[in-house]
Amino acid sequence: MNWKVLATEASTSTRSKSMAGRRVAHRLIAMFCVASLGLAMAVAPVAGSASAAAKKTNITYWFWGEGDIPGITKWMQQRIVTYQTLNPGVSITLVPQSDSTIIPSFALAAQNKSGPDIDTQWATLPVLLPALQGGVTPISKYVKSSETSKWLNTSENEYKGALYAMPLYVIGVPLVWNKKLFKQAGLDPNKAPTTWGEFLADCAALKAHGITPLGMGNKDGDFGAWMFAIYEKQALNSISQLTEGVANKGNDQAKLLASLTKMYTMFQGLMSKGYINSNVASLDFAQGWQLFPQGKAAMSFTTDGNALAWAKTIGQANIGVGEPPIWGTGTLAKTYDATQSSSEFITSWSPNKKADAKFLAWLHTPSNMVALNKETGAFPADSRFPKSNITNSLAKTLDGFDTAGTSIWLENFIPPSIDTSADRPAGQLITSGGTAASAVALWKQQLQLWQSQQPTQFNQFKTWAGASS
Amino acid sequence: MGPALVALGVVFVYSFVEVAHYSLYAGSIGQLTYVGFSNYRELFIDPQFVHAMFNNFRLLFTVPIVTILSLALALVINTTFRGVRAYRAIVFVPYILPATAMGLSFSYILQGNGILDGLLKNLHLSFLIHDWLGSPSWVMFSIGSVIVWQQFGFGVVVFSAALLAVPGETIEAARIDGANWWVVQRKILIPQIHRIIEFFVILQAIIVLSSVFTYIYVLTGGGPGYSSGVMEFFIYQNGFENGSIGIASAAAVVLLALASVLIAIYLWVRTRAAKEVN
Repeated sequence: MNWKVLATEASTSTRSKSMAGRRVAHRLIAMFCVASLGLAMAVAPVAGSASAAAKKTNITYWFWGEGDIPGITKWMQQRIVTYQTLNPGVSITLVPQSDSTIIPSFALAAQNKSGPDIDTQWATLPVLLPALQGGVTPISKYVKSSETSKWLNTSENEYKGALYAMPLYVIGVPLVWNKKLFKQAGLDPNKAPTTWGEFLADCAALKAHGITPLGMGNKDGDFGAWMFAIYEKQALNSISQLTEGVANKGNDQAKLLASLTKMYTMFQGLMSKGYINSNVASLDFAQGWQLFPQGKAAMSFTTDGNALAWAKTIGQANIGVGEPPIWGTGTLAKTYDATQSSSEFITSWSPNKKADAKFLAWLHTPSNMVALNKETGAFPADSRFPKSNITNSLAKTLDGFDTAGTSIWLENFIPPSIDTSADRPAGQLITSGGTAASAVALWKQQLQLWQSQQPTQFNQFKTWAGASS
Repeated sequence: MGPALVALGVVFVYSFVEVAHYSLYAGSIGQLTYVGFSNYRELFIDPQFVHAMFNNFRLLFTVPIVTILSLALALVINTTFRGVRAYRAIVFVPYILPATAMGLSFSYILQGNGILDGLLKNLHLSFLIHDWLGSPSWVMFSIGSVIVWQQFGFGVVVFSAALLAVPGETIEAARIDGANWWVVQRKILIPQIHRIIEFFVILQAIIVLSSVFTYIYVLTGGGPGYSSGVMEFFIYQNGFENGSIGIASAAAVVLLALASVLIAIYLWVRTRAAKEVN
């Protein structure tokens, strides 16, 4: 606009062309000076912030946890805000992950060596297999053992003396029962079925009174995976019986398949006797769980968090919690079913590993752990968490189950692709009327397919299984 | 022309060459092992893939059902009556519904002891009660029914548009000659739109062969077990969930080959139609 005006003035002046020219030149110089000053003023703060940005440590955190602990994402967001206030030089971007993206998204990121600086995966093999492929940096390299020794269930992510990931919470899987419905069926409402015989007897009594004994959902395969985690474990004397079977070592696969046959036969028996809700195959896990608080099923396998939530729905006096009844005769049958479930780790390509580790370790400070428990009800995976914060008697019992003895969640010890392609579909076969033989045949076929389709991963698994046995 | 060819080359040819290339490897990207054509051999002895392919072929049965139902309704609403436009819009609604909303709704309707079972019970038809999505024997029938329900509206719109293009004089002449409603439909209208019917049938066949992933994903996730798996879902599970890019790519090549046969038939039909017009 100004250029046009100047040009017009210059061309229309009838007095002196040279004067007009000088005037234009003066104006141009003046404008240039003003523009330069303005530009300098405008650029100065940008340049300042650019240098500050250059100094700022940016951390991208792909986080998952909501599926286990509703409300944990909000807790994490609040922690990040606090951490950034305490550490103005650090900027953390939280990217929540869903159940279906957690594994494939990280697999893609690991291939490209870009994406998150900190990532969440489910514990054990979903962490350790990428670690064996060079995608994970051991957290024990950056966090002192005096700190990591306070974290619970760390053995789930250890390999050759290194700790690869950090736990945030511990989640247990108890059996819950509805005391009112037990009473209605003539059962002792205060007695948990502890042996398999007692469990079957309770189921029979409940069914005879028109009550669905066990309410679950398996459309997504989760219930089948839980049956594997809880009951296949009870058939084993050690985890290596599973891992060496998966690694196809000697005759171990045949032994593993034989023990799976027994477990699936037991599972099929529960189905054929009508001890599990008839629509289990078409309800997803969360829908199946709703049968319990709705009073439509007398028992359920669930999480600590659900047990506490349901106690509010049906009344704490009406809910009983116990360890899953013992079916198997293996040494591991005596262990409980708690896990850190998800684990936080530093990726090998992160440029700020020290800063990542500092933030992760900071999450374990007592005030953060107390807030985690207060805001979500989750039991923090830290021995420094003051138990005095757990005041509810039911929560105390559940925390006792989780921390009293050894816990193993067997699903963590199979490769994620076997979990998806064999474990879950095999359980679905059982809940949709299939036989134990068909479920085990599926396992066998998928183990062979994995061996031929993922030769590198198979060899890494074999190495890990050999070192871990 | 040049840029268009380059774009076509990048989008289609490069992608296809990459997929075909990966089909010769085992493992995940970054740790691939050359295995030649063994992925193709493995595919055809893999019960899950064979079953998935069989399921795709089973879904072809939905094609005549959708075609007949939508053609019949299009013929009925072809005559002008009050509210015909609203009616056409209503039958089209299922086609534009988001897949997730549809999946959620039908999950509740078709699950064991769900809305459909409740309705059957109230109608004293308990012998018809099933776990429609949870039973391997019924799950493909249920998915097929949902496909028919959603594609039906599209068929009605396609056929209605074709019927509106039929010259009114032809119908008028037939009526003057004493043709009744049924004769007009059978002898005049249907023959006049047979090219559109052929197009629709081939299009539907391509859809059920290579574009039913959404239905499977939202309704059953391929389950129970692998009973409702289709080829696309096999590709997704192996490629994305299991990271087995090789076998997933081999399955994609097979699926593309099968879809190409249908596309070739479609092109042949079009060429024949163009020749007839000329």
